[in-house]
Amino acid sequence: MTLLRLPVVKKSLITALAWLLAAFFLAPYLEMVLTAVRPANELRDNSYLPHHFAWNNFLDVWSQTTIGQNLQVSLLVAVGATLLTLLVALPAAYYTARIRFRGRKVFLLLVLVTQMFQPTALQVGLAREFTSLGMMDSDLTLIVANAAFNLAFAVWILSAYISSIPAELEEAAMIDGTSRVGALLKVTLPLALPGVVTCVIFTFITAWNEFVMGLILINTPSRQPLTVGIDSMIGAYHPQWNYMFAASLVAIIPVVVLFASIERHVVSGLTAGSVK
Amino acid sequence: MNRRLLNASVLAAGAALALTACGSDSSGGGSASGDGVTTIKLVAADYGSNGQNPSQAYWDGVIGAFEQANPKIKVDVQVINWNDISTKLSTMVQNKQYPDVVEGPGYASFAQSGLLYTADQVLDPAVQANLIPSLAKAGDQGGAAYGIPFVSSSRAFLINNALWQKAKLPMNGNQAVAPKTWADVESDAKALKAAGVEVPLGLPLGSEEAQAESFMWEMNNGGGYVDASGKWAINSPANIATFKQLGTWVNEGLTEKDPGSVKRTDLYADFASGKVGMLNGMPIQLQDVQKSNLDVTWAPLPTAQTGQTPQTLGVGDWIYGFKAGGHASQVKAFLDFAFQKQWQVKFDEEYDLLPVTQDAVTQVSKDVPALVPFLKALPAARFVPVSNPAWDTVNAQVKVQIGGALKDPQGVLTTLQTAATQAGQ
Amino acid sequence: MSQQTTSAEPVPTPPLPPRRGAKAASAPRPTAAGGRNSLARLGPLPWIGPSIVLILLVVVWPVAEMVITSTHRINGLGIDFGFNGVGRYTKLFDDPRLGSVMLWTVLWTVLVVGFTMVISLALAQLYNQNFPGRRVTRWALIIPWAASVIVTSIGFRWMLDEVAGMLNRLMLDLGLIPSAQNWTGDAAHAKPWLVFVAVFVSLPFTTYTLLAGLQSVPAEVYEAARVDGASTWQTYFRITLPLLRPSFLVALVINLINVFNSFPVIWGMTQGGPNTDTSTSTVFMYILGQTDVGESAAMSVVNFAVVIVMVLLFLRVSRWNEES
Repeated sequence: MTLLRLPVVKKSLITALAWLLAAFFLAPYLEMVLTAVRPANELRDNSYLPHHFAWNNFLDVWSQTTIGQNLQVSLLVAVGATLLTLLVALPAAYYTARIRFRGRKVFLLLVLVTQMFQPTALQVGLAREFTSLGMMDSDLTLIVANAAFNLAFAVWILSAYISSIPAELEEAAMIDGTSRVGALLKVTLPLALPGVVTCVIFTFITAWNEFVMGLILINTPSRQPLTVGIDSMIGAYHPQWNYMFAASLVAIIPVVVLFASIERHVVSGLTAGSVK
Repeated sequence: MNRRLLNASVLAAGAALALTACGSDSSGGGSASGDGVTTIKLVAADYGSNGQNPSQAYWDGVIGAFEQANPKIKVDVQVINWNDISTKLSTMVQNKQYPDVVEGPGYASFAQSGLLYTADQVLDPAVQANLIPSLAKAGDQGGAAYGIPFVSSSRAFLINNALWQKAKLPMNGNQAVAPKTWADVESDAKALKAAGVEVPLGLPLGSEEAQAESFMWEMNNGGGYVDASGKWAINSPANIATFKQLGTWVNEGLTEKDPGSVKRTDLYADFASGKVGMLNGMPIQLQDVQKSNLDVTWAPLPTAQTGQTPQTLGVGDWIYGFKAGGHASQVKAFLDFAFQKQWQVKFDEEYDLLPVTQDAVTQVSKDVPALVPFLKALPAARFVPVSNPAWDTVNAQVKVQIGGALKDPQGVLTTLQTAATQAGQ
Repeated sequence: MSQQTTSAEPVPTPPLPPRRGAKAASAPRPTAAGGRNSLARLGPLPWIGPSIVLILLVVVWPVAEMVITSTHRINGLGIDFGFNGVGRYTKLFDDPRLGSVMLWTVLWTVLVVGFTMVISLALAQLYNQNFPGRRVTRWALIIPWAASVIVTSIGFRWMLDEVAGMLNRLMLDLGLIPSAQNWTGDAAHAKPWLVFVAVFVSLPFTTYTLLAGLQSVPAEVYEAARVDGASTWQTYFRITLPLLRPSFLVALVINLINVFNSFPVIWGMTQGGPNTDTSTSTVFMYILGQTDVGESAAMSVVNFAVVIVMVLLFLRVSRWNEES
């Protein structure tokens, strides 16, 4: 105990622990890398390292499967859903943060309930609805559906963030003759940027990783998002784990890059969201 | 003012929906347009692995040729992953958006509900006569054929010769002397185990395909899913005895651990890498075996007692026409076209599956000699009760639950029997 | 130090942009509706209308579809045998598997959320320290979040494979197990791993949320506590934890909902099997859908009921409805 009080000892212990934990969180994905470069005939070996490194698996998975197309779908859906979520959530978040109107509570409750219902629980209903609308197998369906299920979180975070920005600033702008929309765009939005960034990240990651709706709302293999495409690689007669993990790793990279580059904003955005 | 704005946003959303609805053009069955061209909708299962040899390409080929020969008919094909096709089809049927033709899952409950054309209505008599009789018969329900076999498969016992020799088990030239009875299986498995083989006997009873694996063992003990009169007999004494025997082997460590969770694809991969001594195999393994340079022996499935005739499993995937669209003549034209020898052979050789028409059998026997034992087994092969409308339900439950019968044969098989009799109601 | 800030001086307008920790001070300050500006006179619909449309279309409609479906007898291939009243509910409640499925669902939710929250508190505390490589080690935590849950789950299933699984090999070499195990082969072996993987994938989000909460605690508070002579643990339980309550609640609720509804972890690792031994109610619902769509919908509706109870509990706990 007394040793722990020494700053140097404490600090090196913390450092060692943090790095150990980092290794722990990375280890499963490292094993996926090792599997991804295993030649097909070594897949059922339990050697720690492959005897031969088949780096070309990363190229083969690209040229021989549909993941190129699946990747495009995922990008389109994640970007589309993110934009749509922002477009729809921002005005609602702003209004509920700024104005106390009749039905505000009901609206917020509705949003909260949305957060509680997840696509997994609704799959039969979703499939029936979009089949009867003739909207199966469409990118737009996935965009709309993903946006809807991310709406609650976005409204929540943005509303909390906007609340934390003093209304006096807008009022000052409005006294100068700016409209409320103008004040929102010119004054509040720039200040709320960290909240918007958080919202973008969360929606993007959730939509990018979404699995259930991609599975039930899309029929054609080449039009499915990447998550579903990856999963179907082990469903067939010849499970190709190496290709599957190669594709999975490709799918992780864009999110990690995006996330790591704006991690700082996420933490500050979440701060706002959690102070209610 | 408020209301108008609300209306506007609802309208906008509605318009977006309507637009996409037009864009995706999937309003149930096909349709006839003004210029006399009729479109029929085909929903087909994907047999490709990992999108590498997608069935889409096969159907695009067939349809391209068909549309050239029949300019008044267009075929709109939707290829769906095997694992999901039942669910997707279920949603279409729930919404009464029936396709015109389906290739893949069982036909029985659609036929029972009167949704399907009979084979007579959508297939030329000459083509029907060309079908292998045992397969065609499995498409019968109540005396009329609704399901038309499109592609088939059969099973045989598969042995790794190298492991066989390692365990000093008898060989006949370069072929293993295969076990004829379950007693042989047991003693051979023990020898393999003693020689250090990881999995002497592969027994994939995981939910993926457990209904077939169980059936193969049951039928060689005089059991099966139904009795001679067609009544459910899942908890028959023969089946219970079968699972007792399999359970004993599991407990003695002659199989992989927990066969109830083992997928056949994983086990096939283990076989190909030389870890499994013997198992019930199928033609798709020919490729793996060849790729890994394994010496193997194909043999009839072993029987419970000496002197019994070995039985094997036949599997058919079905094609059938839905009545809702009213396109009998167009469906007929398409099916007659797709059952031509060249298209049949192309499909079978692409996926190592077996043909369903006699002229294609002749051709495939010539092209792929390795398939001959399977082709020969086909006429006498037995099928799971595909024509029973309750089968689809029973099948799904058997797949999930029957692995548990290794530990509790009486209990699990009785639960399944109860479920099966209730599913029929 | 802290004493001085309670001077009689009027609190100045919060500086811009808002600092962390300044938020509680500048809490929501909604003005009365129908203020001076013109758009306000249009009422809330132009602002919240699109959200409502989206929610009605994508969330409420399927819920209605589910409720209707649950009153019909529909087989696994979608053939509708007509209205069945509460028949599917009766069948569901008579199903001998339901009891153990619900029990496991509760246990699953409590275990996964419990472990996740406790471990995340510790992780957040750790990552809130200043040490070399803090940024890099935080990024490592991002990876399980960035990887889709289905991929991570399949990855673990692969590592636990009896023949080729690396974890089997590792535990064997470390002498932890006598022989390679089929970890996903039976419920007793599979359940701890399922919980482990579910916690593994829930940690990043939870840790980040709590980390954000920790960073919003003003440094002066800690200094005051130290001046008062409080020990590290006293500070943590008396000061840090209470201040963390808002972010803790957010993380708790989101985790409860996500874990209760969790599908990919169990689906990716055991598909709810063998039998339905590792199925939670969500996975069970999916399995039922293969044989009886109506019963599956009934299971969904029961799930909704559970979720609504959870929402009501949350509203009580967070006293959300008092703030209005």
